[in-house]
Amino acid sequence: MKKIKFFIDFHKEEQWLVKMAAQGWQLKKQGPVYTFESAAPEQPTIKIDYRHFKKQADFIEYRSLFEDSGWQHISGTKHSGNQYFKRKGAYDDDIFSDTASRAGRYKRLADMMLSIFILFLPIVFISISKGTLGIDYLLNPKTLYFTPGLWEMSGAKFWGRFLFETPFALMRGFSWSISLALIILYVLMTIKSWLLYRKAMNDDDV
Amino acid sequence: MRRDKNLPLTETVYYILLALKEPTHGYVLMQKVEELSDGQVRLAAGTLYGAIENLLKKEFIISMPSDDVRRKVYALSQTGESILRADYQRMSHILKITEQILNGGAPK
Repeated sequence: MKKIKFFIDFHKEEQWLVKMAAQGWQLKKQGPVYTFESAAPEQPTIKIDYRHFKKQADFIEYRSLFEDSGWQHISGTKHSGNQYFKRKGAYDDDIFSDTASRAGRYKRLADMMLSIFILFLPIVFISISKGTLGIDYLLNPKTLYFTPGLWEMSGAKFWGRFLFETPFALMRGFSWSISLALIILYVLMTIKSWLLYRKAMNDDDV
Repeated sequence: MRRDKNLPLTETVYYILLALKEPTHGYVLMQKVEELSDGQVRLAAGTLYGAIENLLKKEFIISMPSDDVRRKVYALSQTGESILRADYQRMSHILKITEQILNGGAPK
């Protein structure tokens, strides 16, 4: 079974995965969607870390350390960020033993979101410098059409040219709005993960 | 004398460095820290991995390839050993001065 869901809060994601396991759905793989396998219902402990690895050897070493201490690595790749670990039985057990390292995963997530946002910044600057920061488009959609003298034409000639250019005009307006939506999304995700980091630093139970 | 900015070491870091006087794998290190601290410091895998990463960056410890391709061996570096000794000195002084004041030894 596949499920699409999106979490920033690791704690909530862990709880959801435990609930799925209790209903007989075992997480097989995550990214970009959750793939579950039907299994006997159980009450495992599931914990998520957030790490990227430069070298394959580092990733193997990391997984070995967890596996040696009883945590099965169920999903995650060198570059996936999210690393899922499972331990049989609902122990009061964690992959972190202090507040700072427990909060650290949110810090690493926030840093990653921030760097993706920074990668998007040139698009914003180019849009501003070209004066194409979509607001003009919304106020005056006519500017999306580049055909010379289009708005002075009339009748069949106008409609022919107008309909011909409409897909291109929409693409001009639309591709811009996708970039803007992504930029806003990454800003929000950076802020959210930063807030979760601050909360985790002040909370001993998260 | 200016004190090293890494001092004082945290209890966790102190025990990790002390345990690595003898080079060992991550998991053995975890058990050794627990043993050396009389069960007081129990490191979970994610926390230990982060601590190791941080100590490697500071060059207090080094990693060496081992005959086991899935597990690295960590060892105390020279920098690590001198910082460990500096923190030991710092704590020895604390113990000495505390002994004098609390147990009525003659103040200097």
